[in-house]
Amino acid sequence: MAIEIFMPKLGWTMEEGVLDEWIKQDGDEVRAGDVIFVVESDKALQEIEAFDSGILRILPDAPPVGSTVEIGRLLAYLVQPGEAPPFEREAADEAPASAASSWTSERPAPEAQAARAIERRQPRNGGPAASPRAKRIAAELNIDWTILTGSGSGGRIIERDVRAAAAMASAGSDRDLSISPVARRVALDAGLDLDELAERFAGVRVTRADVEKFAREREAASDDKRTVMTGVRRVTRDRMVESARTAAPVTLTSEVDVTELVQMRRKLKADGADMVPTYTDLQVTIVARALREHPPLNASIDGNEVILRGAINIAVAVDTERGLFAPVIFNADTLSLLELTKASAELVALARQGKLKPEQLQDATFTVSNLGMYDIDAFTPIISLPQAAVLGIGRIVPRPVVIDVEAERTAIRHMTTLSLTFDHRLADGAPAARFLQRIKQYVETPYLWLVN
Amino acid sequence: MREITYTEAAREALAEQMAIDPSIFVVGEGIGERGGNFNTTLGLYEKYGPMRLRDTPIVERGFVGMCAGAAMTGTRPVVDFMIVDFILDSMGELFNQISKVQYMSSGRIKMPLVLRGCFGIGGAAATHHSGSYYPLFVHIPGFRVALPSTPYDAKGLLKTALTGDDPVLFLEHKLLLNKRGPVPEEDYSVPFGQAAIARAGSDATVVAFAVMAPKVLNVCEALAQDGLDIELIDPRTVAPLDMDTILESVHKTGRLLIVDETFGPCGIGAEISAQVMENGFDDLDAPIARLNGLHTPTPYSPTLENAVIPSQAAIAEAIRDLVAE
Repeated sequence: MAIEIFMPKLGWTMEEGVLDEWIKQDGDEVRAGDVIFVVESDKALQEIEAFDSGILRILPDAPPVGSTVEIGRLLAYLVQPGEAPPFEREAADEAPASAASSWTSERPAPEAQAARAIERRQPRNGGPAASPRAKRIAAELNIDWTILTGSGSGGRIIERDVRAAAAMASAGSDRDLSISPVARRVALDAGLDLDELAERFAGVRVTRADVEKFAREREAASDDKRTVMTGVRRVTRDRMVESARTAAPVTLTSEVDVTELVQMRRKLKADGADMVPTYTDLQVTIVARALREHPPLNASIDGNEVILRGAINIAVAVDTERGLFAPVIFNADTLSLLELTKASAELVALARQGKLKPEQLQDATFTVSNLGMYDIDAFTPIISLPQAAVLGIGRIVPRPVVIDVEAERTAIRHMTTLSLTFDHRLADGAPAARFLQRIKQYVETPYLWLVN
Repeated sequence: MREITYTEAAREALAEQMAIDPSIFVVGEGIGERGGNFNTTLGLYEKYGPMRLRDTPIVERGFVGMCAGAAMTGTRPVVDFMIVDFILDSMGELFNQISKVQYMSSGRIKMPLVLRGCFGIGGAAATHHSGSYYPLFVHIPGFRVALPSTPYDAKGLLKTALTGDDPVLFLEHKLLLNKRGPVPEEDYSVPFGQAAIARAGSDATVVAFAVMAPKVLNVCEALAQDGLDIELIDPRTVAPLDMDTILESVHKTGRLLIVDETFGPCGIGAEISAQVMENGFDDLDAPIARLNGLHTPTPYSPTLENAVIPSQAAIAEAIRDLVAE
């Protein structure tokens, strides 16, 4: 029996993955536990192991390496030595069978005269089928057919579906575009996008001269580079849009005196400590402890219900060459500062190497994002749903600060700005402000949390 | 324009060419004094006598071989099989000699031989008189195969057959013989390899041959009342086959059905499907469909006979299915 090998579902929200690499090749012997291939999903590379042993036979029409594949798509078979994989058997065994059955006069009724006596096969990949014509016209009209709904038999995407999508797209642009017939023809002849014209000449009637000017501009700007989004970029895009659409974000900022933390790091270094916590580590430790006291900021929404999350799992935004990742420090409130520092260093290293596993990127209940190293003072981070809030950390600047108004005394202190964006659907302004205030206290007076 | 029958039109072509070209003579069973079982030579014996209208015994291999020899010497024999099923008795001469002579002689010897006869299912003619063997001849290099569906094409294509250098299978469907249609009085011919667009349309392309062409045309007119605009192509000759016209039509409609009374396996529909797949794949908006007669010897019983050929209802259903794909 050939064992089917599919694109696996590696996370709850995963719908597709990038087939990154075949570790085993067609014809290779595979033992249970061997890594067969690598999938990039949810921002991480995951090695897929075999559950069974056998000879790997990759489908001749398997998606190429580097392509995005929907979960559940058949990629290969594991067969026993000497066993032909189903795709070779189909060709060898079924041809004579169909010759015997389809053309004899055993057909049930004269109505069945159509030559098609064999049941038509479903497309192998189970995804939406599109007719060759639909694909060609989609390419000509620059329509992404993969997102269309087919109106043909069995949901096949056919020409009229593509044309309808194109008409919809151009109708949308025409609403905003006032253009003379001559100018429209010149624009179409020059292959210009009417949407872009509408954007460039919003509110004016576009003339031939405008179009020609626009074409010259386009030519001048022809060093534009267009690339296909990476999987990471697309995940980020989708999540940010979802958050922007559903959350009700409010950002509070507060200036905080971090001199104590600066001193702490300086003294730990001077003492020759093996691992000195970064500012981010210190902030995560503080946030975790503050969250324990403010459950509404460690929550999520599920329909009409609010879930106060039992664990405090803090995601730390990490910028890498492959894009933005947010690996999770689990149960951060139960870790000692040293434990957290170690865990965080490990995750950052994995993120930079692209070796994070999906489970290291899931189930965060809060996010910390530090842009201080880029001289950012304050910002309005986007909440990563279903979390309730995100804390943005600004740069640390030494500044003269009034420390005793009565005595008219100032001192040079290390200052930073904390930006707390929270989802107003879950928490109101005052509780969120109290949470930020608590963080401020913990930062300015670290011994408050050293004991708990 | 005057309207004459299919048989009259073909006979007119033969008579006109016999008057022009004294090297043309007809060989067959009952084609002399009797004027042919289907009136294919009616009245010609009186004009040209037994030398040019030569009755034969029932021995197809013999007279086909003899005519092949005659053609090689520079004459233009027309073999009239009456019922074309009996061409099968002369296959050795046809496939091994007649189709190859020009090739074997580097073109020095011509083979201007016309092989004509009635074919197809109809009139309870039973299984020995209902054959349509043209796919075999399309498969073999060297033959021309004409399948006229109208009196106009019958005359025009036979004119072309009688003036060329190649062996031509000129096949007349028995249900078309008495059909009337407009035929101009002035001289004309219909070139081989040029399909007729019997009806222009935009929703789907149907290719139909011989008797199926007028049948499909009726269906198309009926379907037009339901808003279906079907293009009908009659290739007129299947060797050579005018794929350009078919591909152009599929480029327009995206959908193709091939209706052929004869058997499906390895038939013309299979060939057209393959060529459209090879050369027009990106034009296809639906799988290509075929509608053929059942793959069975033809029954004698009229009821059963009707059941093995594509009916108008089956054609209409196939077109509707295709458009709904």
